[in-house]
Amino acid sequence: MTTPILKRATRRELHSPRTVAAATVLVLVALAAVYAGVEIVLHLLRLDPLLVTPGAALDGVAALPDIEAKPAVIAGAVVVGIAGLVLIWLALTPGRRPRHRLDLPPHSVVVDNAVIASSSAEHVRRELDLPRGAVVVGVGHRSADVTVRPVPGQAVDKNRLRTVLKDELTRYGLPAGMSVRARVLRPEEGNGER
Amino acid sequence: MNATNRGVNRTVLFLVGVVLVAVGAAVVAAQLWPAAADAWQTTASNTLAWMRQADEATRIAEGTTLSWMAVALLALLLVVVVVVVVMIARLGGGRTSVLLREEATGGAQGAVTIRDGFASDAIRHSLAGHDEILASRVTAHRMRGTDVLHVSVTARQNASPADAAKTVTGLVDKLSVLTGREMPTLVSIHAGIRARLASETPRVN
Repeated sequence: MTTPILKRATRRELHSPRTVAAATVLVLVALAAVYAGVEIVLHLLRLDPLLVTPGAALDGVAALPDIEAKPAVIAGAVVVGIAGLVLIWLALTPGRRPRHRLDLPPHSVVVDNAVIASSSAEHVRRELDLPRGAVVVGVGHRSADVTVRPVPGQAVDKNRLRTVLKDELTRYGLPAGMSVRARVLRPEEGNGER
Repeated sequence: MNATNRGVNRTVLFLVGVVLVAVGAAVVAAQLWPAAADAWQTTASNTLAWMRQADEATRIAEGTTLSWMAVALLALLLVVVVVVVVMIARLGGGRTSVLLREEATGGAQGAVTIRDGFASDAIRHSLAGHDEILASRVTAHRMRGTDVLHVSVTARQNASPADAAKTVTGLVDKLSVLTGREMPTLVSIHAGIRARLASETPRVN
């Protein structure tokens, strides 16, 4: 994390490039432009339009407020508006990927949240001597949560659970500011296996 | 980690989004609000009248449908399509195959070029002996004039990311000793379908 170039590479790895959305939008814009061009050329050649002649299309747009099927038009316009809002949302939100940067200078290490979750769950499971599948860890951008279902007769202290997970996450080099929530479920009836 | 210009991506999304929201809002307003409907119709008929008049006025020859107006419209659409195609073509990229180049310094040594395949082979073969790493991919990228090595590995399920990171960075350090050049390196550790299908880390080593 020392050099600016590595910082940049890391930032790019942590955020979505929005390439899929942008490429989809660009392709749709190109298709719309090509279609409009084709209709204009057909009209100039005095051939039948594919769907509608340019003049009729523009007249239709002008007459939109007088149209009979008002609810349908409004519904369509609302759908268009919502699509626009989604695009604006995609453009402005950071688009963080479910990944974390580990502090291991001088190199830069980026880890999927799923890797952190499965590894720390295994660690918690061994540390607290719990059966397989009894520990579920979720890792988010700023928080992690752990849910434990002990076997009947086994007591799990919530604070200990939180400390164990927090220590493990710190050992990985995750930012110390991550909040950790712990939850202990009631032991399952039977042999405790899920 | 390719060279896609993310600012362009987001600008495209933002502009198209604003246009869609504006169109949607205008249509809804024109449907529900009489004043807006009036404004819509006046604007639309004025624009249409202007376009028809411009179309008539710029006829290229008597008795044809072709006008400079139509030509201008077609040219505009063509420009849009070309710009879009160029933008799509520029997505991705930035991979480089030359890892480092040592120019001839006189004497017996000539120019030396190390390609990314060398780093890739070296790191991948070394990683094959490590149990906690299932798969790896090594690529070199050129960013702002600097080559950055990107080592992407899939960790075995339940393997500690810290251990996996240490394994990989250790190999990268060895590679930099071997080549005599420190390269900025980004290591990414992924979970994936392979991690889920492969067996977990053995509990007894």
